[in-house]
Amino acid sequence: MQENITSYDTTKHHIHIDMIVTNPKGIIYNVAGILDTGAPRTEFSDQFLVHSGFIETKSEQVKLKPGLQTQKYGKIILPSVTICHHQINFFEVFVSHFEPSWGIDALVGLDFFRRFRVTIDYSNGILLTRQIGKG
Amino acid sequence: MEKKITWNDMKTKFPDEWLLITDFDLDQSGHLVAGVVERHSRKKDDVYQLPALNKPTAFRYTGESTFSGLRDHAREHNIL
Repeated sequence: MQENITSYDTTKHHIHIDMIVTNPKGIIYNVAGILDTGAPRTEFSDQFLVHSGFIETKSEQVKLKPGLQTQKYGKIILPSVTICHHQINFFEVFVSHFEPSWGIDALVGLDFFRRFRVTIDYSNGILLTRQIGKG
Repeated sequence: MEKKITWNDMKTKFPDEWLLITDFDLDQSGHLVAGVVERHSRKKDDVYQLPALNKPTAFRYTGESTFSGLRDHAREHNIL
């Protein structure tokens, strides 16, 4: 089974990756995210989900609680998300409020790590990813 | 019509800003290398406001991310 190679910038404090989300109209969106083993499930920012037409409005009531980095307040199923060259169909993710200063629209959480074997080759700045249970 | 510029040029021209980019090129790892900046602002809401452009779109922030993951949580509980 195919093992994909994705480079990342080792000068940053986290592993930043870029991903592709396709909305129901077939429009492709390229968004920035971070691999986050502290997130139980992948989360997308409500601002991005509104712009791309997945939700109608973002909640104006949501504020970050002290000690929390994101504030999850809903779930949505994205028809197609491509992370590290792996296309995932019907991917259930959290809708979250993200602080703009984070500079990202997605946190890739443990649900991705459950589906894919992820090897971090830090010295070379690459991720090796392979779908679990397929070769 | 705006001109296609490189990601490095975007960071120089629009420091610490959010960008909405079209007609973009990606490298083999999916990282953005060039594109046309259609919107830019220090305020994320300005860039993400509707209407959408109905064509392939990339969003990027040219500043440094302040995301610190569980570190903030740990600090909050005096673990670090």
